[in-house]
Amino acid sequence: MLAPMDFALDDEQALIVQTVRRFVDKDVRAWAADADRAGAAPDRLFTVGPDLGFFVDALTEADGGLLDGGYAHLTRALRGLELGRGCAGIAALLETNVEPALAVTRWGSPAARAALLPALAAGGLATTGRDARGRLTVVGDGDGGVRITGRVGPLPALARASHVLLVARLGDEPVLLLVGADGAGVEREALIPSGWRAAAWGALTCKDALVPADHVVARGAAAATAIDSVLAWYRTSLAARAAGVAVAAMEHARAYAAERVQFGQAIGRFESLIRLRDDADTGAAAARLMALHAAWLLDRATDDTSLARAADAASRARVFAGDVVGRATIDAVQIFGGYGFVNDYPVEKLMRDARAFEQLIGDERHDRILALKGAS
Amino acid sequence: MDIFVDNPMLQGVRQMLGAFAAKHIRAVAGLHDREESMPWALMKMAQGFGMSQTAVVDGRKALTGKDDEAGAGKPSSQARLGVVGSEELAYGCAGICLAIGGSGLAASPVARMGTDEQKQEFRRLLKGEDEHGRIRVAAMALSEPATGSDISGLATTARADGDHWVIDGSKQWITNGASASAYVVWAQTDAAAGRSGVRGFLIGRGTPGLVPGRKETKLGIRASETAQVHFEGCRVHKDMMLGVGQSSVGLGDTKKMLDSTRPMVGAQAVGIARAAFDFLLERVQGGTLHGTPMAHHQRIAFELAEMEMEITAARLLVHRAAWMADHHQDNVRMASMAKAYGARVAQDVTARALTLLGDEALEPGHPVEKWYRDAKIYDIFEGTGQIQRRIISRSLLGVNPT
Repeated sequence: MLAPMDFALDDEQALIVQTVRRFVDKDVRAWAADADRAGAAPDRLFTVGPDLGFFVDALTEADGGLLDGGYAHLTRALRGLELGRGCAGIAALLETNVEPALAVTRWGSPAARAALLPALAAGGLATTGRDARGRLTVVGDGDGGVRITGRVGPLPALARASHVLLVARLGDEPVLLLVGADGAGVEREALIPSGWRAAAWGALTCKDALVPADHVVARGAAAATAIDSVLAWYRTSLAARAAGVAVAAMEHARAYAAERVQFGQAIGRFESLIRLRDDADTGAAAARLMALHAAWLLDRATDDTSLARAADAASRARVFAGDVVGRATIDAVQIFGGYGFVNDYPVEKLMRDARAFEQLIGDERHDRILALKGAS
Repeated sequence: MDIFVDNPMLQGVRQMLGAFAAKHIRAVAGLHDREESMPWALMKMAQGFGMSQTAVVDGRKALTGKDDEAGAGKPSSQARLGVVGSEELAYGCAGICLAIGGSGLAASPVARMGTDEQKQEFRRLLKGEDEHGRIRVAAMALSEPATGSDISGLATTARADGDHWVIDGSKQWITNGASASAYVVWAQTDAAAGRSGVRGFLIGRGTPGLVPGRKETKLGIRASETAQVHFEGCRVHKDMMLGVGQSSVGLGDTKKMLDSTRPMVGAQAVGIARAAFDFLLERVQGGTLHGTPMAHHQRIAFELAEMEMEITAARLLVHRAAWMADHHQDNVRMASMAKAYGARVAQDVTARALTLLGDEALEPGHPVEKWYRDAKIYDIFEGTGQIQRRIISRSLLGVNPT
């Protein structure tokens, strides 16, 4: 039996939320517009971030990180909400190391841990990807490793990352791989897409690139649990950040609507715009709770049954948050009217940023339908 | 095209512009989006087959080679021509469509209200090339920083001074605002007169006091220039006031003009939606999902079915509104419905297409991502979605809801 759910934050969670919110309001929001225009995060992010515990929060103390005991996904979701309020691109960078660090620590071979964890402890980045459409050609090398051909990405942080934690398939078998971004047969390309422009996006073109046996993080029976976990962590984080972007969109829209006068009154008093804001606020509140619930379940996932429950909650949270952030950002631009369409105001960036929450690591709604179809 | 099948001229225009969009517009759409630059070469090419910057003033003959067949009470095909052409051009690129047609916004009031002398002046201002060797374009300057949807509160003033009017104020979101050779500017001549005091003025580039302002960086339609324009004691001769000598012209007529363009704007939104739909359809027809043809997935196939229904319904609204205009019927409600629904469908289809395409559409310069950004303006400009619903509901209920 799970313990009754408690909606109150404990002292540590409250402190983290407060600290991250201050960081977001003071620094991240100040950086966001310039980082978006430049297509790069400010260098200061990589000095301030570690001071606040980012990048190494999922590394154990033994590996040079801050993790003492189990990782707290609920705390991560709470901070993800705050980061999403600031800048989706910067948030993606700050969160990028979590999945690779946790997965390789838990399921990786000594060689994989040695390849990744010291690099992260030294300030490096890693990222996570998924061959959701089966576009990659993955074949066994006859020695326990695999060879990959095809394009990996675009993925956030990949322009700066040393490794990709990659969910792929070897025939009918799911595999979790640690792919070096600079290995033989791998060509890296830096990209600046339309959304999350600060996130140091990149892609790898792999031509028969070798992932040696000791960098196959999980395969066979163990892979299902590992992959379900990684995707559930990622989905929960995406959902939390998406909810944060939706909250930001409405914060900006509310402030603008209170000031902008048309037809003799503040536009925020027009019922049609109140309806848009109210729907978005309601959606963001629900998305937040779904993300927190998924994270809370993840923190209590001790066996396959509880993990499946958490993974399902994470997937639902991601579907819902994707819908909410898409609608909220479009409606925020609508409330801003002509000003919403130009780059001087923050909401057009949010509309561009919204899409990646639905596009990364596969079409969530479709994944759910296939999973439910298989179970029915 | 269903209601136009019996009209060979419209079919011909559709085929011609469709081919132009497919061959020429699509080839440079990504470039102009990325560089946020006007497609000057394409605009010049478009002039070559009748889409000149003065076409609206010159009349229908410029595009079709025929005089408008509309006599008293007889149907025209002007509105249908506009929607058919608009959909095809926007199918290529909405920003380029707007760049090609942007001068029409200024030409319309000159055509409707201008004297022969003003029409001649408009043509003169747009003749030849500008100092950069580019074709000349025109700008309609109506919106202001404080007046977006509510155009009755214009702050730009025109003060009589002898044979001139002196114009002061700033305009915002002006298509071709930085590059235009001719401007049609709307200003309040008599604050006490309210809307009827608002008049339009034809002003040439280089007139002292006319200061083209900063070009905006926008979410979408980046091939179409949007800029501020400032007027600082700008003197314009009284003969260049549109509707001079007529008493009941001004903003009311401008609103009618906006009503007349709404089906075309709706048609452009349909063009964007169709572009995204066709891209997705091709992917689904040729794509696989872990070895299974995408088309075999009911969820994906039904999404396409939904999109097809929405696009077809939007196009029929657009065509109905244009047909009513051509048959001299009051189409205000239908035009607003066409514009508002077209905008909704364009946003909906492009967003859903992005989701279905997944990480492929995260690649920089992906066309569907561009169409998603382009689509949003259709719910904002030429009367926001809220303004359209205000018009529709007022026509149903007889009151302005707040």
